[in-house]
Amino acid sequence: MQNLLKILLRYSNFLVFIALEVAAFMLIGFNNPYPRSSMLSTANSFIAWQHEQVSEINGYFSLRNQNELLAAENAELLNRICSMDSAKNREDVHYENAKVVQMTTGEMHNYLTINRGSNDGIQRGQGVQNSEGVVGIIRTVGPNYSVVLPVINTHTNLSCRFAKNDYIGTLKWDGKDIRFAQLTDVAAHMVVNAGDTIVTSGLSPVFPEGVPVGIVENSVLKEGDSYHTIRVRLCTNFKRLKYVNVVRNKHQQEIEELSNGLD
Amino acid sequence: MDWTKQIARYVIVMLLQVLLFNQLQLGGVCHPYVYVLCLLMMPITLPHSADMIIGAAAGLIMDVFCNTLGVHMAACILVMFIRPYLLGAFVNDKDRLTEQIHLRALGMEAFVKYVVILVVVHHLVIFLLAAWSWSHLGFVMLETIVSSLITILLIIGYNALRYK
Repeated sequence: MQNLLKILLRYSNFLVFIALEVAAFMLIGFNNPYPRSSMLSTANSFIAWQHEQVSEINGYFSLRNQNELLAAENAELLNRICSMDSAKNREDVHYENAKVVQMTTGEMHNYLTINRGSNDGIQRGQGVQNSEGVVGIIRTVGPNYSVVLPVINTHTNLSCRFAKNDYIGTLKWDGKDIRFAQLTDVAAHMVVNAGDTIVTSGLSPVFPEGVPVGIVENSVLKEGDSYHTIRVRLCTNFKRLKYVNVVRNKHQQEIEELSNGLD
Repeated sequence: MDWTKQIARYVIVMLLQVLLFNQLQLGGVCHPYVYVLCLLMMPITLPHSADMIIGAAAGLIMDVFCNTLGVHMAACILVMFIRPYLLGAFVNDKDRLTEQIHLRALGMEAFVKYVVILVVVHHLVIFLLAAWSWSHLGFVMLETIVSSLITILLIIGYNALRYK
């Protein structure tokens, strides 16, 4: 007995080693999910939290790529919708995804630059929109970049209509607040309510019909005026404009040639 | 270095391990387990069996983060088991073998040999157990060489900066 104890004491370190290794291998052997989950149940929420934090942090590094992928996918989906939506006569329209590389918002004549140019089929006069609504019209085209005249430029005129009754007006911007534009040429007999939706008219090939433009914020009709003064809250948030779609109407050139021939 | 500092170093190294080194994905062969630094540089004042229990705990904590229950634990226990024998073999001058284990205390040659052998053993055991078959032996060897190299360089680099 005493000898046995002596041996045990002498090899105690080795026995501890063997016991610990056996425990480790038993853990490895537990492929059965029940002991695994019950052993870690207290730690599970913390470990899951840790994995979530790590993946969140890693996620930030891929955000730019994800955004570009999503924007390209959006343009592709818009194209597919258009090819299906022949009733609205949109099958001639193609959307080109683009990224805003520069823009001003604090001036009377604001401009923005996008990273698509004539190499991508961009032409002067094409419309630019994003997922929220109308952005502007292509003004100058370079090989790889184009300058867009946005709605928030006092030079811009945009033909619009009321979604409720197709009454036509012209959207202008007074240069004061990039959140609001003014709808003109709406005659006094027309009833205008706050909350009316304004969409593109589709009278020019620039935009297809029905792209959101804004919502009537308020409307003033003074005694003796023959036109409403309508303030429109723009759908597009120009402060955080990042990705846009350029509208390419396949028949734009033909339509413009025809109307030029009339002059 | 007292035990508070040891634990503080362990926490920092584990944070780096979990947040940085575990996220490396260089072709799937680069998994440096730098946390073994804390075990290798732990003072040798405690009884041998206590060392092994600490190793088991450190390995188990790592296992929980890696979702490989038992694998790191087995490797760390083995490392802590052979550690005193290696130190006895490499350090001829027993006076140098005081409490501290670092580059300056052991001398360059003994320390590098000690770190290389233990890190390779540790990584090899982990990758073998994780693969759990001999059929991936070539890949396990490549994984061991690449990962051990990085871990060894980091541990020696840390020592070279900290204990010149």
